[in-house]
Amino acid sequence: MFEQIKELILNYVDVDADTITEESRFIEDLGFTSYDFMSMLGEVEETFGVQVEEEAVLTLSTIGDAIKYFESLK
Amino acid sequence: MDKTKIKTLADLVRLSAEEFGDKAYIKEKAGTEIVEYSHAKLYSDARKIAYYIKSVYEGEKVHAAIIGPSSSMYLAAYFGTIVGGNVTVPLDAQLQAEDITDLVNRADVNLFFYDTRYAAMIPHLKENCPQVKAFVALHEAEGAEITIAEITEKFSKAEPVEIDPSSLASIVYTSGTTGKAKGVMLSHGNLIDNVNCADDESDSEQVLLSVLPIHHVYCWTCDFLLSLRYGTTICINDSMMRIAMNLKLFQPTMMLVVPMIAQTLYKQIMNAATAKQLPPQAVAQAVFGGRLRCIYSGGAYLAPEIQKGYLDLGIPICQGYGMTECSPRISTANYNNVSTAGDVGEVVKGCTVEIRDGEIVVKSPSVMQGYYKYPEATAEALDADGWLHTGDLGYVENNRIFITGRKKNLIILSNGENVSPEELENKFATVDLVSEILVYAEDGFVTAEILPNRDLCPDLDAAANKLKEIIKEINLTLPSSKTIRRLRLREVEFDKTTSKKIKRQQSIQGEIV
Repeated sequence: MFEQIKELILNYVDVDADTITEESRFIEDLGFTSYDFMSMLGEVEETFGVQVEEEAVLTLSTIGDAIKYFESLK
Repeated sequence: MDKTKIKTLADLVRLSAEEFGDKAYIKEKAGTEIVEYSHAKLYSDARKIAYYIKSVYEGEKVHAAIIGPSSSMYLAAYFGTIVGGNVTVPLDAQLQAEDITDLVNRADVNLFFYDTRYAAMIPHLKENCPQVKAFVALHEAEGAEITIAEITEKFSKAEPVEIDPSSLASIVYTSGTTGKAKGVMLSHGNLIDNVNCADDESDSEQVLLSVLPIHHVYCWTCDFLLSLRYGTTICINDSMMRIAMNLKLFQPTMMLVVPMIAQTLYKQIMNAATAKQLPPQAVAQAVFGGRLRCIYSGGAYLAPEIQKGYLDLGIPICQGYGMTECSPRISTANYNNVSTAGDVGEVVKGCTVEIRDGEIVVKSPSVMQGYYKYPEATAEALDADGWLHTGDLGYVENNRIFITGRKKNLIILSNGENVSPEELENKFATVDLVSEILVYAEDGFVTAEILPNRDLCPDLDAAANKLKEIIKEINLTLPSSKTIRRLRLREVEFDKTTSKKIKRQQSIQGEIV
C-alpha cells in the first residue's frame, strides 16, 4: 500500500519520491494544505474502495498513521 | 416563478412546490444510492413538522436550532420551523459542545434539531440548556426522543399561517475573525429581497453542486433559496474529501465556492495538464464533469490571476461580495460578462452603496434588523438612518465594488499613515512560494509573517532569501510608507476560523529573518 499512497501523494505535492518515508508528516514534511489533504483522501477512497470517516482524518499525521488507518477499513 | 408573489420564506417554499412539484430539489447519497427529494415533498414534510411544533409548543414562540451538514432532512426541519411562523437558528457543525451551549442559550433556543453525528453532545445540552423542550434527530439515531421520519409519519399537515414579511425568520451567527459570535437577525423580507435582488440568469435545467457549509448565509441564500425560486436541482457534496468524485458523479452546471477551493482545483488541473501533457481545457472538462457553465466565488478575496486562469479554461468564475448582515449579497457578477479588473461585481438591485471615510456603507431591504440581544454591537454596525457599516474599505467605479481591506485591521503607523494589511497580503496571492501570509505592525514596522511552500523550496534559509527578493520587488510597487520592513518565517499553518479564514489575533510564531 505504501507505494500506491506514495503515487497519490505525488499528484498533490512536488517532492522527491525518494525522500518519502512512512514517517513523513503530510503537512509539516510534505507541505500538504488541509484542502489538498482532504482531496487526496477522496482519491484514497476511490482507489482502495474504502470509506474514510471525517472525524478520523484529524488523527492522521504521518503516512504510517494513514496506512494503518486505511488497512483497518478494509 | 413570479418573484413579485414571494414575500416570505413560507411563500417561497409553497410556490416552489406548486410550480416544480415532483421535480428533484435535492439529490443526495444514501449509502451507495442517490436519492431524490422533491419540491412538493419538502413543502409537505415542512407542514407536518410545523404541526408537530404547534402541538408541542401550543402557541409559544419557537427558536429552533439546527445542526448538521446539508441534507434533505435539514431543509425539512428549517422550513418546518419557518412555515409555522417560527425562527431558525442554524449552527456551525464544527463547533464544540460548550460553544454550541453558549449560542443556544444566547439565542433563546427552545427546540433543537440535530444530525445523528452530533448525538454525543445531546446529554451535555440537556444538562446545560434547560429551556430546550425537545430534541429532534434529523435521521435515525440511538436514544433519540423523536426523528423527522416519525414526525412526518404521525402528524398531518398544518394549515399555512399568515406571516408578516418584517417578522424575524432566522438568527445567524457570524463566525468573525475576532470577538464573540453575534446573532444576526434576518427577517423574511431581508432574505427574500436578497433572493430577488439580481436578475440571475438561471433555469430549472441547471444542476448545482453544493459544497459550502449550509449554516452560512452565502450558501443558504445562493444555493438553497435561489434554487427554490428557479427549480434548480441541488446535489449535495457529502464531504470536502469527495468534491472531485462528486463533480464526476453529478456533472453539475454550476457551483458556488470560496476562493480556497477555486485555487486548489485550478492548481490541480494545471499540475495534471503538465504531468499528462494534455491541454488544460481538456483536463478541466474531465475534472468538472463536462457540463460546468460557471463558478461563483465569495467569502474572501479571489486573485484576478486565478479568475483569468479560469476564463482561459473556458469556465467563467464570477466574484461576488456580501456579508451575513446583508443576507448576504451586496454585489454580484454575471457569468456572461465576467470582469477581471479586480472588482467584486456590480451592486445588486435595491442596494445603495456609499463610501464614507473610505468605508463601504450599505442601505438595502436586505440589511438585518440588528444583532440579537446585543444593542451595543447593533449601534456600531447600523447607524440611525439604517446604513450598514460593513467595516470593509473600498471604492465604487461604474457601479462595481473594489475592496481594499478591513477597517478594523488597518495598521496606523506612528507617522499617521494608514496601511491595509489585506491590500499587502493580496499582492502575494499569486506568489507560489507563499502558502499563507499575515501582515501586521510590530515595533512600528509593517511585518509580513509567511508560511512558505516547502514543496517549492524545502530549505528554509533559501526560502527566506527568495522571499526577501520577492518582497523587495513588491515594495517597489508601494508608496514608501506602506513597504514591508520585516519578514518572519513560520513552519506551521496559521490558526484559522471554521470558515478557514486566518485569525488575525494570534501568537507570533515565525522567526525574524
